[in-house]
Amino acid sequence: MAYSTFNKVKNDALKEPMFFGQNVNVARYDQQRHAIFEKLIEKQLSFFWRPEEVDLSSDRKDFMAMAEHERHIFLSNLKYQTLLDSVQGRSPNVAFLPVVSLPELETWLETWSFSETVHSRSYTHIIRNVVDDPSIIFDDIVENQEIVKRAESVTRYYDLFIHMCSQYSLLGEGTHQVNGEEVVVSLSALKRQLYLTIASVNVLEAVRFYVSFACSFAFAERAIMEGNAKVIKLIARDEALHLAGTQHMLNLMANGQDDPDMVAIAESCKDEVIEIFREAAEQEREWAKYLFKDGSMIGLNAEILSDYVDYITNVRLRGLGFDEIFDIRSNPLPWMNAWLVSDNVQVAPQEAEISSYLVGAIDSNMDDADFDDFDL
Amino acid sequence: MLVPQSMSSTVTINDMQVFSYGEEFSLLDSMEEHQIPVTYNCRGGYCGSCKVQLTSGKVNWVQDSLVSLEADEILVCCCVPDGSISLTI
Repeated sequence: MAYSTFNKVKNDALKEPMFFGQNVNVARYDQQRHAIFEKLIEKQLSFFWRPEEVDLSSDRKDFMAMAEHERHIFLSNLKYQTLLDSVQGRSPNVAFLPVVSLPELETWLETWSFSETVHSRSYTHIIRNVVDDPSIIFDDIVENQEIVKRAESVTRYYDLFIHMCSQYSLLGEGTHQVNGEEVVVSLSALKRQLYLTIASVNVLEAVRFYVSFACSFAFAERAIMEGNAKVIKLIARDEALHLAGTQHMLNLMANGQDDPDMVAIAESCKDEVIEIFREAAEQEREWAKYLFKDGSMIGLNAEILSDYVDYITNVRLRGLGFDEIFDIRSNPLPWMNAWLVSDNVQVAPQEAEISSYLVGAIDSNMDDADFDDFDL
Repeated sequence: MLVPQSMSSTVTINDMQVFSYGEEFSLLDSMEEHQIPVTYNCRGGYCGSCKVQLTSGKVNWVQDSLVSLEADEILVCCCVPDGSISLTI
């Protein structure tokens, strides 16, 4: 099933599944099978921001005054965030674009990935500001064993899915001999891997990122590194949207509102998805130990952060209709809420991104009766 | 669409607490006004933290919800009561 950049077959995108249908041809948005992705695009565009808008001048001073173990926490957290967004800035495009079949979802994937590249650029903005030689930080992301371990766990599902898709594209379904080895390519195995990959992306954005946000905001709670927290606040706003996107994809598949094959596949993946969440939570707790290995900071230590890992994992599992797997019910970091509130609160409707207010604002359906009140 | 609210909407929480909805922008604001503990994050309809169950009555949406919702679920940051309602939180 070779990819075509403009599928010549005239198809009705309203009848296509999200993935593994026909390749998208005309990028049209006047009709949508899943209108939610168009709404996510609108929202993401309304969120557009540039890293340079945030002034970080006082952060350098704060960083210089920090204790050594606090610098370790701050920089390690920043390295992890850089890793996560390096992955997310390209992977949704590389993995999912070749197999997407709906124009609105295709554009959501690109819009989503693009916003992650803004995040990556903002880390450079932050790192440039706090250290003299950014290479020391960036190089460590591929050299430090703790970070490399994180990279392996966040990319595993993506990489296998991309590998399987390239075999499917090159060889098609069936049993093949490649370099003397037997390779079995099946669409149902691909769809299963797709579901698991999206679940692992949901974990990345909905659990892993939030653990890192907690560290960033903990500094700002003490009125230090506040510029950094402002940037992370903007990133967190975007990530909330992205995780809504992956939750929708998973729920549409599982509820039978998309590809009918996916209902049984999603059902058969349930235990594995819960394991992906459990494993990620375990890794995040390990990471918390590494962060605080030389000492805690005021307001945050490995234990509280681990409780937050459990709490946020439960919240995200509930979002997908799964049962909670950890005992914790209340948020151990209640102050996080203040940092996760978006800025567009209680604005006038015409100033907010309320699509229902904008769409249909002009009534173009006219008939003679509309002129009854007119006198010339 | 923005629809004028009835002034006499009452909101019942978990069959226990009852309060009157005023002129607040959203149900979330109204609940905060009446000191009802409710989880929220984004207040913009996309994080899903303020998802609750609407057990009776109708609501009008003042903001688009961007999260997956079951038929009986609402986001309190995105809607206001249309008449009296009951919620399970």
